[in-house]
Parts: sequence; C-alpha cells; structure tokens
Amino acid sequence: MASIEIREARKAYGSLEVLHGVSIDIPDGEFVILVGPSGCGKSTLLRMIAGLESITSGDIAIGNMVVNDLPPKKRDIAMVFQSYALYPHMSVAENMGFSLKIAGRSKAEIEQKVSEAADILGLRPLLFRKPAQLSGGQRQRVAMGRAIVRDPAVFLFDEPLSNLDAQLRVQMRSEIKALHQRLKTTTVYVTHDQVEAMTMADRIVVMHDGNVEQMGAPLELFDRPANLFVARFIGSPSMNMLEGQIEEVNGAPTFVSGGFALPLSQASPAKPGEEVVLGFRPEHLSIAGPNSVSTLEAEVIVVEPTGTETLLNVTTAGHAFLALFRARLDVNPGERIMLSIDPLHVHLFSKATGKRL
Amino acid sequence: MTIAVPNALSRPGFFQRLSFANKSDVFTRVLVIAITIALLFYILLPVYWMLKTSFQPNQEIRVLPPIWFPTETTAHPYTNANRLIPMWRYVLNSLFVSVTAAGISTIIACSAAYVLARFRFPGATIILGLILLTNLIPAITRVFPIYFFIQNMGLLNSYVGLILAYVGFSLPFAVLMLRGYFESAAPPELEEAALIDGCGYFEAFWRVILPVCLPGIAAVAIFTFLNAWNDFLWASLLLNQGEMKTIQVGIGDFAQEGGGVQYVNAFMAACVVATVPALVVFVFVQRWLVGGLTAGSVKT
Repeated sequence: MASIEIREARKAYGSLEVLHGVSIDIPDGEFVILVGPSGCGKSTLLRMIAGLESITSGDIAIGNMVVNDLPPKKRDIAMVFQSYALYPHMSVAENMGFSLKIAGRSKAEIEQKVSEAADILGLRPLLFRKPAQLSGGQRQRVAMGRAIVRDPAVFLFDEPLSNLDAQLRVQMRSEIKALHQRLKTTTVYVTHDQVEAMTMADRIVVMHDGNVEQMGAPLELFDRPANLFVARFIGSPSMNMLEGQIEEVNGAPTFVSGGFALPLSQASPAKPGEEVVLGFRPEHLSIAGPNSVSTLEAEVIVVEPTGTETLLNVTTAGHAFLALFRARLDVNPGERIMLSIDPLHVHLFSKATGKRL
Repeated sequence: MTIAVPNALSRPGFFQRLSFANKSDVFTRVLVIAITIALLFYILLPVYWMLKTSFQPNQEIRVLPPIWFPTETTAHPYTNANRLIPMWRYVLNSLFVSVTAAGISTIIACSAAYVLARFRFPGATIILGLILLTNLIPAITRVFPIYFFIQNMGLLNSYVGLILAYVGFSLPFAVLMLRGYFESAAPPELEEAALIDGCGYFEAFWRVILPVCLPGIAAVAIFTFLNAWNDFLWASLLLNQGEMKTIQVGIGDFAQEGGGVQYVNAFMAACVVATVPALVVFVFVQRWLVGGLTAGSVKT
C-alpha cells in the first residue's frame, strides 16, 4: 500500500493543455474517486498515475517516490480498464496469473495466488474458461482478479462499470467497495457517474475542464458544494438553480427573483444588491401549507412516480424545476400547486464567479 | 424410448424452402440456381479436365469426340513428367522461394504495421499514403526498373533476387492489411494491460498482441505464399535458368518446348502437382484467411 501525491500535474498535447496543474494528496488506503463530465481530464490523470501517459510538468509520487519517468511495470500499480482488456487467448487463470508469470514467480506461487483471488471473487468455477465464454459481470470480476493477485500498492479503475447493465452495476459497485474494505489498498477510481462516486468513495475529486473543482467527502460535497459546477454535478436529480438578487426586506437579507422572495439567515455573507444564484435540491421543496412563507406557484408538467418517491417537473415564471417527494402524490400534469423551499437547505452562489457565498 | 430426430431433418429442407406459393419467386430461385451451376461448371471444368487428363493415357486424350469420363486411368504421366522435367526439384524451389518470401514479408509487415497502428509520429500519414500508392501502380510497369535493379545487384538467377522481389511486392498490401487488423483485433488497452502487468513493449507485442492477431498474421502469410507460389511473370524474368526454376516457370518452359502437345498427360500431371500445394494450403486455412481478410471491416 502507498500514498499518492500529485503536485501541479499538467498535461498538454502540443499547444493544447488538457490538465492545468492538478494537485491531489491521496493518503495510504484511501478510496478516491475522480468524477466529472466527459473530457474533463479524469482518465488522462489516471493514465498519468499509471504511466500510460507522460507528464508534461509537475510531479506524481507513489509511496513517496516520484514516478514521473518510471514505466508502468515499475510503479507497483494494477489497473482495471473500462473494456476489461482481458487477454482473449488466455484462460481466466492465465489472465490472472500473467503478471506473476512475467515477474518470474514459481508455478506453485502463481497457482496459490490465483486460487486465493478466485475464491475472493467467486471465480473458481470459471478458471479454465476463455474471456469470450464469460458474461460482462464475470469479465469484470476477472479484470479485478488480475489486479488483486499482484497485491499492488495502488489500484486504478478506469470507468470499470460503464459497460454493465444497471442491475449488475449496482451489484459490482458494492463488490468493489467490499473488496476495498477487505484489502485496504489505496484506490483511484474514475467515473462520470456521480451516484457511483457518492456511494463508493472515501473522498471525491470533482474535475471540470482539466481543473479540480472541489475535493472532499461525498456528503461534504453534497451539503456544501464549492461552486455552481459541483452543485449541479453532485446529486441526482441535480440541484435547482434560480437567478436573483439580494435585497434587504424588513432589515433581513432576502433573495428576490421576480415575485418570489426568500428571507435568508442574518449570517448570510451575501450583500444587498449582489447578483446571486440560489440553489436548492429537489428534495428540499415541499407542498406549501397554509402557514408557509416563501411560496412558489408552479405548474406541473410531468409526474414521474417511482413507487417510493415522486419526481415532479414543474415550471414557475419561465423557470423549470424538479421537485422530489418521498410520498405518492395525487397530482396531474397541468395542475397548479404551491411549493415552498426549505430556507435551511438553500445554497447561494455568486452570479459573477459561480463560487459559493 | 424416444428417437431423436436429427436437426437437419427437422429444419426446412432445400426443396421445402423452394416455396411454390409465388410463381415469380420460384422462377427467380431456379434462375439463381441455374446461374450458380453454370458458373461452377465454367470455373471447375478446366480443373476437372486437368485432373482427368493427368490420369489418362495419351491415346485416349487425343480422340474426338473427347472422352469426358476416363475409361482407363494410370499414374504413369506423373512419373513421366518427373523424367521429362525435374518436376520435384521445381516444386521444392517454389516451396523454398514462396515460404521464405512469405516468412520475411510477414515479419517485416508485422513490425511496420504494428508501429503504424500504435504510434503517432511525424510522417506516419505520408508513409501510409506512399504504401497505398505502391499498391495502385500496375505490376507490369515495374518490370524494367526491378529487372535492372536486381541485375545491377548481381542477383539475377538467384533465389535471393526473386525472394527480394516477392517481399517487395507483397509488403504494401501486407502492411496495410495488418495495420487494420492490429487496430481492430488488438485494442490499445490490451497492450496497456500487458505493460502494467510487467511487460516491456516488445514483450507485450510478443506475448499478447501477436497471439491475439495470429489469424490476421496467418492470413497475410498465406496470401503472400499463394501470390509467390502462383507467380509466373517475375519468376520467368528473374530466375529462369537450369534447375533453379520454380514449378510455374518449369511448366511454362515444358509447354513451350512442345511437351504440352507431345506429352499432354505428363504436362497435366505437372500442372496438378503445381496446383496441389496451393489448394491444400487454401483448404486448410480458408477460414482463417477469410476471417483475417475481413477483420476490421465491421466494428464488433
């Protein structure tokens, strides 16, 4: 096991810089997830850690040793690819034992390690099959088996669940998490699926356009997003946004947008006259009662019941919102409903900088 | 006890599939079958004639109307052919030249195609364009330059000269085909996985990419072998003296010297001997050849 330190890592292809000085510290044994939309540089960063991409400038250290110029085989890492990258001409056992064979380990040791990994992952009955004879989930497991037989210092996962169907993805998610809890190996995992990130990570690194937008524990990112991008990206369904202005009403700072006014706490750092964006999560909207203040009248556009909850697509004054209720609602498209926002769960962002206020 | 009905019987048979529900449909099917039979007849008749004649006595061959099905067969034409020309020596020459050319071409093509498929470097597109261009130049226009080139190198009437020419001719196609095969059959992740598993570039190529791409590599080797084996033009220009001739040139010379008329059955026996190795190679590796040639044409 080892820690990973990334210091001002940059990556450029010719004049095009795709990573703009990324710095991340990953302590020994931590499960860190790099998350972000396609093209944000997360896979490039992972490949730089693996040694599959060169580092234009900056340093990457694994276990306190700078590995910038080391080839992948000398970095003591194992990687699981999105496409699994299993060797199609080898059996499951040969795939799993390949790295040990290359390292010149004895046949008995290879058999023992492969056997242990096969037991952990439930692959024993499949050991003599070829990858083509396996299902997607089984291939995924073999790819993980190939990684764990080496007992590496660092596990790298590059969107390993993207090719699986939804049900299998949920199953494999918990298997990977359980594996990490068992092995405690430092893990860097790349995904564009924020649900995967929220459910698996010790710490999430949100990336956008080659920069780190925010790093932190999943709930920290969910509860206190550092900027508009993180606020929109983390959480499913994503956060509602409403542009407006801070005004002083009855001596209290109040968010005002059109006819809607929401009194804010006195401690709010927003100053009167400031242009802001108000963020509130769909689950923090409720049907307004007779005593509710700060209500919004909205028209129901779409009703999406899932059984355990109901998601409403609503519009108010030209703004589209999502509202999530942990109950079955008897509403129909076209109906007008009164909604109120929980003032304790709103987020304010500067309209100019996009940063949290 | 139940009796298993073979699948072939439970499936709709050929005649059942010829549904008579629609007259024009029946007509189309019959027409297609008739054209197929006519084409097969057209293609296979010379082959049958060659095979039949190679086992017939000479007197039976010359009669009119011709005898379609021999009444008497003999292996004498085969021994006679080897007496009239050093047939087996020519076959060995052909095998040596073709196998060596195929081997060298495949090794060079593998290396070149792998580099072109995997690495981005300045001039890669130009190199690919030039390789494609050489494929577009008609072979006949290369006769004089290559003849004089081989002559100036002092390699005329040597195995090396002919092998060099075959390797040169087969490389452009082999490189283009293998490059496509490497790109489609061996995604970069496979090589990257091998690099992470402890291989260097050469070891990753040798242990992972090569076995995965074996069908494509075999297809290129076989294609090169067949081209060299069947070649007459270059062999007759570059290696046409004494016992070093290839079987194709040997048969050509035998025909020109009157053997084709005087010893028709022996001539045909030599033709059969010249055909069999290519046929055997093709029959045994046909699946690989087709798979290798079409791989990469569709994304799977």
